[in-house]
Amino acid sequence: MITLKKNFFSALILLFLTIIICFFSAFEFLRMHENKKIYPSKGLSTQTKLSTYFKDLQNTPGDTDVYIFQGQKKGGNLLILGGTHPNEPASFITAVLLVENILVSQGKVVIIPRANSSGFTHSDSQEGNPQGFSLETTDGKRWFRYGSRLTNPIHQWPDPALYINPAGQRLSGTESRNLNRCYPGRIKGRLTEKIAYGIMELIKKEEIHLALDLHEAAPEYPVINAIVFHENSAELAALALMELQIEGFEFRLESSPPNLRGLSHREWGDYAKVRAILLETANASQGRFKGKPSASLIVNGKDKNYVKAAKLGRLFVPFDEKGIPLKLRVARHLAAINALVSGLKELAPSIVVELEKMPPPSLVKKEGIGCYLRAQK
Amino acid sequence: MKKILIAALLVFSLLIIEAFTQGKKEGVLSIFEQPILITSAGQNAEVHLASVLAKRAELTSTLSQNATVKDLENIKTIVVVIGTSLKGLGAAGLDIAQEKERINLLVEEAHKKNIPLLLLHLGGEARRGKLSDEFINTFLPHAKMVIVVKSGNKDGLFNKICDKHDIHLIEVERTVNALEPFKQAFISKE
Repeated sequence: MITLKKNFFSALILLFLTIIICFFSAFEFLRMHENKKIYPSKGLSTQTKLSTYFKDLQNTPGDTDVYIFQGQKKGGNLLILGGTHPNEPASFITAVLLVENILVSQGKVVIIPRANSSGFTHSDSQEGNPQGFSLETTDGKRWFRYGSRLTNPIHQWPDPALYINPAGQRLSGTESRNLNRCYPGRIKGRLTEKIAYGIMELIKKEEIHLALDLHEAAPEYPVINAIVFHENSAELAALALMELQIEGFEFRLESSPPNLRGLSHREWGDYAKVRAILLETANASQGRFKGKPSASLIVNGKDKNYVKAAKLGRLFVPFDEKGIPLKLRVARHLAAINALVSGLKELAPSIVVELEKMPPPSLVKKEGIGCYLRAQK
Repeated sequence: MKKILIAALLVFSLLIIEAFTQGKKEGVLSIFEQPILITSAGQNAEVHLASVLAKRAELTSTLSQNATVKDLENIKTIVVVIGTSLKGLGAAGLDIAQEKERINLLVEEAHKKNIPLLLLHLGGEARRGKLSDEFINTFLPHAKMVIVVKSGNKDGLFNKICDKHDIHLIEVERTVNALEPFKQAFISKE
């Protein structure tokens, strides 16, 4: 029989090292809860919080920044939501790009870059995703968080076995933390449902006419490079698609299924009666076929596995060695926003929204995002 | 003898030309009249693109995603936008067989009433595949003309069916390019 020799000195050293590692890891871990600063353009009229529209969100991880750009001339009111799913970076970055650049001459633009701010405070377990990625700006590097599709379980726990969302749809339990399954929200609901409720209240109080929810999806997902529209926005979506084709961006149209409840493009239209559209681009970093997860994959969008999958006809978008970089995905979102705004002008001249200084999609595609962003201070 | 040879050569040349051009109907067939009923075969979203094209072309049209024979009252042309969307079928609460049956009844009734069928395939490559092809193979032979976005005809399926059934085929680069032939296909009201 082997007897272990007690060595208090070694144990003490190991314990001390463990405490040191935990101490520094904790700092790193808690850094994920810090919101990196966004630098609004001169056109910003008001910066507020979602809790302004629904008090229960105050001092909760669900509260988030709302940026309002009011034009001189009266017109339509546009809502742009980024970060519904914080692991879809083109959505968040497009919203940041708009906040930091646009001026509004007519109508009003309301932007929420981190719609589910809790989702930015953690990453999906066992995925090996990086905590963030950086972009080169003209005056240095700027770091952005790469989060999770779902609300942080620290903020909303436990998940039910079966989730019946506020619109009555039966879903798996984890979907109770998916903002884009929780509309129209619940006043006395879980945190994610309260965020959804807050957004619905904002839509009503700001008298939004057109609401856009920016997303990304894996290249093997069928609803990709798509404009998903509520039936009240069918003509607008069709007009936008044709304009996008002229601009050289291929999109597909997908109508929002009336029997798939709880999603923004369904409930915003049904409950708040606004024109509701969801936009999708293709993001290899959230796909199941991807190789090693990395910050480079998020930004450059290159992945050998996806090239192979494309050759085998398993994808719903073209994918070659050039990949689908973040700058292209952001350019696609910007182009779609432009096309929808110009479609609105044609269909409903009384609710025109005029945006100025928006980074041109063709230049973003060519030169990248960094030149339209400031470095972190 | 020389005259017989020349005549034989002429007949032979005509036969060759005929063989090469058989079924290839080019240019727009301007025979369609208004008002138009626009519907989809396969519950696709591109049916809304067709509706926008009709508006842009200043045509009198009605869009009915689930059109039935009742909707053919006073209709002079049916525009069927072909391509299957499982999402769309699910949303409409229909399966493939039910959707096929609906279009079948519509096409039969239109045939009885002498209402011509103009078919559009606007979804490109994304709206091809087994399920969409089933609709294309079944209903394209009933059309007088088809406008197809090029990427949806990479394998030449539309050419093959059009050649066989003597149907005018217009291929366009993108949806937006379908506007002109779509407009020209309709006889002006004036």
